[in-house]
Amino acid sequence: MAVNTYRDLVGVFADFLSVAIHTILYERDIYPRSSFRSIRRYGFPVRFNRHPGVCDWISDTVRAIQTELLRFYFCIPLISHLNAQLSRYDRLKKNSVERVAVVIYSKASRPLERVVFDLSGFPTIPPSDANTPFEEEDSDVTSLADIMEQLRGAMRKLAFCGSSLTPLPADCTFNVSMELKAGIERPQVDHTSLPWVPVRQSLQPAAASASGAGRASGRDQGTVNRPRAKRKSKVGGDLGGARTTPIRTVESGAFMLEVWVEESEAKVNGLSVASSG
Amino acid sequence: MLKPNAKSSAARKRIENHTFEDEKGEEYEATFGDFSKYYRRKRIKLQNLDAELRSSSSENPRIFRGVIAHVNGYTQPSLNDLHRLIVTHGGAFLKYLDNKTTATHIIASNLTLKKRVEFRNYRVVKPAWVVESVRAGRLLPWDDFRVIGEGRNQKVLGFHNGKITSRTTDSQFGYKEQLSKLRDDGKASFPGHPPTPSNDLHGSESSAVRPGDLLASDIRGSSGGKRALVGAIGPFYGSSGPPLANPHSTAASGLNDRRQLDEVPSGEDTPPLIDSVSLESESELSIAESRLEGAPPDNLEIEDVGWELSEHNTPVARNSDEDSQSQHNESTKTLNPQSPKRAEGSHPPDSLTSERPMLTAEEHNAALLADPRIRNTSVLNPDFLRQYYSESRLHHLSNWKAELKSQLQQLTAAKSSSQKARHKCPPNSRRYIFHVDFDSFFAAVSLKNHPELKDKPVVVAHGSGPGSEIASCNYPARKFGVKNGMWMKQAQRMCPDLKVLPYDFQAYEEASHLFYSAILSIDGVVQGVSIDEALIDVSALCLDAGGVNGRAVCEDSTRREQAKADKVAEHLRNEIREKTGCEVSVGIGGNILLAKVALRKAKPAGQYQIKPEEVLDFIGNLTVQDLPGVAYSIGAKLEDIGVEFVKDIHSISRERLTSALGPKTGEKLWDYSRGIDRTEVGDTVVRKSVSADVNWGVRFENQKQAEDFICSLSGELHRRLDAQKVKGRRLTVKIMRRAADAPLDPPKHLGHGKCDVFNRSVVLGVATSAPDVLGREAISMLRSFGISPGELRGIGMQMTKLEPLEGPRDGRTESRQKILQFEVKGRPKEELEDPIVDDIESPQRKIAQRPHPAALTTMPKGSHSASEQKLLNTLGTQFIIPSQIDPSVVAELPEEIRSKIAGSGVILRESTPASPQLDQEALEALPPDIREEVLAFYRPRSPPPPSIPRDQTLTPPPLKGGNGNVLKSDPKKPRASAKKNTVGLSVPKRGKGEGNPTLTQSAFIRPGSSGGKDIAGSESDMDLRNFDDGEEDVDPEFLAALPDDIRRELLEESRRERLKRHALGLDTYSIPHRSMTPSPPPEERRIRLPPRPPKPTFTAQKLSTLPELKKAISAWHEEFRDEGPYEEDVEALNKYLRRVACEERDMAKAVTLVRWLGWIVDEAQGDGNDDHEKSSPAGKDAWKRALESIQQAIQSAVKDRGLGEVAELAPRRKNRSSEEKSGEECDGARTRLLELVQRQRWVETREK
Repeated sequence: MAVNTYRDLVGVFADFLSVAIHTILYERDIYPRSSFRSIRRYGFPVRFNRHPGVCDWISDTVRAIQTELLRFYFCIPLISHLNAQLSRYDRLKKNSVERVAVVIYSKASRPLERVVFDLSGFPTIPPSDANTPFEEEDSDVTSLADIMEQLRGAMRKLAFCGSSLTPLPADCTFNVSMELKAGIERPQVDHTSLPWVPVRQSLQPAAASASGAGRASGRDQGTVNRPRAKRKSKVGGDLGGARTTPIRTVESGAFMLEVWVEESEAKVNGLSVASSG
Repeated sequence: MLKPNAKSSAARKRIENHTFEDEKGEEYEATFGDFSKYYRRKRIKLQNLDAELRSSSSENPRIFRGVIAHVNGYTQPSLNDLHRLIVTHGGAFLKYLDNKTTATHIIASNLTLKKRVEFRNYRVVKPAWVVESVRAGRLLPWDDFRVIGEGRNQKVLGFHNGKITSRTTDSQFGYKEQLSKLRDDGKASFPGHPPTPSNDLHGSESSAVRPGDLLASDIRGSSGGKRALVGAIGPFYGSSGPPLANPHSTAASGLNDRRQLDEVPSGEDTPPLIDSVSLESESELSIAESRLEGAPPDNLEIEDVGWELSEHNTPVARNSDEDSQSQHNESTKTLNPQSPKRAEGSHPPDSLTSERPMLTAEEHNAALLADPRIRNTSVLNPDFLRQYYSESRLHHLSNWKAELKSQLQQLTAAKSSSQKARHKCPPNSRRYIFHVDFDSFFAAVSLKNHPELKDKPVVVAHGSGPGSEIASCNYPARKFGVKNGMWMKQAQRMCPDLKVLPYDFQAYEEASHLFYSAILSIDGVVQGVSIDEALIDVSALCLDAGGVNGRAVCEDSTRREQAKADKVAEHLRNEIREKTGCEVSVGIGGNILLAKVALRKAKPAGQYQIKPEEVLDFIGNLTVQDLPGVAYSIGAKLEDIGVEFVKDIHSISRERLTSALGPKTGEKLWDYSRGIDRTEVGDTVVRKSVSADVNWGVRFENQKQAEDFICSLSGELHRRLDAQKVKGRRLTVKIMRRAADAPLDPPKHLGHGKCDVFNRSVVLGVATSAPDVLGREAISMLRSFGISPGELRGIGMQMTKLEPLEGPRDGRTESRQKILQFEVKGRPKEELEDPIVDDIESPQRKIAQRPHPAALTTMPKGSHSASEQKLLNTLGTQFIIPSQIDPSVVAELPEEIRSKIAGSGVILRESTPASPQLDQEALEALPPDIREEVLAFYRPRSPPPPSIPRDQTLTPPPLKGGNGNVLKSDPKKPRASAKKNTVGLSVPKRGKGEGNPTLTQSAFIRPGSSGGKDIAGSESDMDLRNFDDGEEDVDPEFLAALPDDIRRELLEESRRERLKRHALGLDTYSIPHRSMTPSPPPEERRIRLPPRPPKPTFTAQKLSTLPELKKAISAWHEEFRDEGPYEEDVEALNKYLRRVACEERDMAKAVTLVRWLGWIVDEAQGDGNDDHEKSSPAGKDAWKRALESIQQAIQSAVKDRGLGEVAELAPRRKNRSSEEKSGEECDGARTRLLELVQRQRWVETREK
């Protein structure tokens, strides 16, 4: 069968994400390895945590991300009473999420590693078309099995990257964050309805905080490069990290996902200092 | 279908009887330490699970009942889904395969090589079998889904509707294959949805029973291979038509049969039939039953109708079949309870079953052979073989032909060895080849004694009886449609007053000798094709007449040459007519192919010349089967890809052709279609096989006789092997068995009739020709066929992998030790197929199998003689050509004379002060810049056109379009090795021909690098030895005279220049245009996704996939291994990788490529010590630097994306200073991050 609606794409991604989170937790030793059991996904043995709390948390998270990926944002102009923004209406496309990242923090809550799932290649479609099938460009449509094969490859590389990354210190925690596309209004943070809170400054892209309410000053594509502030804890300081390990790009038809691992400077330097000292 | 062995049936019973009540069984007790007990219990538990699952899904048809499946390896759909599908449909599943026999089916999409061997005798099926079976609602034959035993593109015989069909399995390996099948599936394997597939998949089907299907499948199931039956049912379906889909209308349409059905015991009486059918149909029945449970009651009646129908129709079918066929009809067995077994697999019905009502084949033979006269003529006569071979006309002919041919060959060889040297034509010159052939040789010669019949239709055959075969017929007879190889009976029908003449071998032989003597009197290279056919290369003769050297294009001289060719042909024809009184035809063309084609037009009694300008038109309008070497088998393949005429090939790419026909044939045809044929006249082919076949009079009463006969046949084979002075290593036995539908008595008395042919071969450890060994092997192979002796109609033994016989002639003393063979294998070329085979059914086949001399591509023979170089006046002008000519004078000359001068081996360039005349010391004394100037002056201004060989013995211009056959002395060496071994290999060889032993030649730029695949050519060393004087830039003699350092400098420079000229593919880096593809009008609203920006591609070939890129990079490194890459190339790669990382957003790919390059460079560093001691350290350093720059490019690209540097691009650099990173910039204004509130919750969870 083919994966040919946006909703399908999101479904496939969500599925992959939850498997990936479990795998990361296992590979990065966030939880004791004995708390995982081996199951088969994508024809590949992966580890799932057995703790119901962890499982619930992950599935909740993934669901929340899925919701976010399928979210309509046309309410925003109404809320902000900015009719002038109507011209932006068509820019308020469905998928507001640019990236999803699994962030691993040290005991002192310094981000050490980020596993980034870059969704910027997902198609941008008008809100009403979530269930409309894509036009098939050629015979080699986005077939599920093809994606599955590629995800399998990605999963394998993810599982093996554990051996190539430097080990983490004890007592790390993790979290999942998502990066919204530039120009998308931040969802009204209402703790009762939305589970999301803004992340710490150092993981915010620099310009975002500078422009207050988030109406991005920079255009979407024009990358504004500015020298990073000296103090690393400031805005965006922990983005990008010091070392990147590419995992894999999954690309099949409309499905496009790039995965990589970033190791933060704190980790790289800290460890190298520790090892030399 | 299933023939479960004891083990699997026991296992099946066990599993079927397995029930699960509760968790109180023994298996749920605790076990400690006892692994085997643990494991046994685990298995029971697994079966418990399955049993539960099975019982909970009773609504599914139990199609897999009796199947014990095991899944091996990765499959799509997954193991879990397959497991569930099988279990819910009544099958059993084995998680662990303790012994292979337990499982009835092993499911795998791909097997490792070892497992392929291991599982060869088991039913290994593809996962699709399960899915398709479930979808079809019945157990599909597993054969169609087999994994093992189907080679790619291997043709498989199928048994379909009573016809043997042949189809090609074009299975692809890997998961892609399964994708196409799964694409339209239900949610069978969608991981987002927990597998509920079976219900999904089946719900619809099991609720709506489609009686049409049911009928069809049941009947098919019960009748199996009863071909007549299916055929008979067909019309019935046709008449009732589409309504079959609807149960009611089927019932209605079935009503007319009701009447008859009532007489037949219905319903209850079917069981015997059911019992008799095999397991497969049983399981189908069970499906039918289980379906019917839920179906409306009238379906039940339809079911009955179906069964009745099948029974009722059977006799009808049989009768009609009987009418149409002879009495040995097997469909009499349609009601035989055993018959479904026959349907199994695709092998033709077992002979045993068809014998029952009749005499067995053995009995029949015994009856036949009771007549002593017949007995004596059959193989049972101990003298049979001797007689057979002494009387067989074809045997006589072929032997005689072989003899004649070897005689001729010796004659021509003796003559042409001198000829060749004398008439060695300059390469690439125009050629004139004659193909001379008698017109209906036998008939014409026989007619000489009967001149009164000249204008009457006449044939030559051994008798006028209807069973004799026409060996040759004259042209008046051909007008009636009579052809060679036709039966007399048929011919006489076409032409009642046909005159039959007997063979007159004496006269033929005489005529043939006269024919050849006439041909040999012509001054040319002769190759005998057969007794009445020969090829002559008269190029030298014609070129002399033309006046120029045969390369230059000059209308006048070309015309003269052609006129000369025509004249020679005319003369030849007249001479032969005078000598023999028979007509010959001559085809003239630029190569053997064209000559042969022209001959067709020339016949009868004429001559035709294909001129160069009309080649394409002429060839293009032929059908492909007109080409030599192409007959129905290749023709059919070509038809598949849409080629009927030769010109159709022009529109097909060479790749397509080679993939359809195989590399050799494809290449050959591609060339042929353009009128290219590289075969040279006079090339001989070494005999490859020796065989002895008998297919007349083969009638046995018992196995003993058959085996005795094989022994005597192997004696005959031994004699033939000895006569050829060879022994062989591979023995092939060919068995002809009476075809199942052929009558016991073939049309030709004691002939073989219609047969199935089986081949089997064995490779013997040691080459042998010992009759007892051959006999033993052949008998064991014959036994392994398991063919009853009465069915045998022909036996052949063939020996291949021949080796020349050494030592004593009896063939018994084979030594295992290899002996250097100094003897040249100069066996006369013979037809591969033994002409004894009396192959009357398909006279074309011989043509198809005969390796046409033109088909065997060989390289031009390199024989030179020094005489060529003497400045004799051999060129047909009365002027002596001076050895040094002023080029300006030459330029003024007319074209003809000019080319003559060029052809005469005079080196024009030497007319400038020859470089060796330069004073070495004076040169050295010059300041570098002036020296440079001087050298530049001596360098020719442009490379001379390839058609002017500067020095014939040195550089034959490479043949156009590949076969970069540069090392003349060793034509078969591939280019690659030639290059590597330049030092060791070619120096001495060249040294022989030329007094300049330090210089060797190799093509600098690959001759065939038109595709640009090679990134560039490179030279492996500065050393002069490795350098190449094939490079026209620098005069070798001049070079040799220079002191070392200057020489090096000079070479270096000229090479650089050369490289520049042959621009690399690398700098043609291109960005493809965005192409807007028009979209088909969608019937359903669909979103048109904005097209993805096209992937950046690398080099002119637009590489973008990883394997391609890796290959390109490896090639690049290989080419420039010693001198390091060019900066532009490195830059291009940098740019590309950066785009991959940034635009294509595939960092992983970019990084993989860099690592790949790094690895290659590392490797090169490593093996520098032994293999390439000459490779310069400079090259290594350059590569290292390039690698670093590329690594840096990647890092900066990644940095541009706002990411940290990539780890493990190279060995990890931990302490890379952090100040570098202070300049790192972050990607501003793009995103904002949100984090989960849930984090708090999670922390709590964790603390629990």
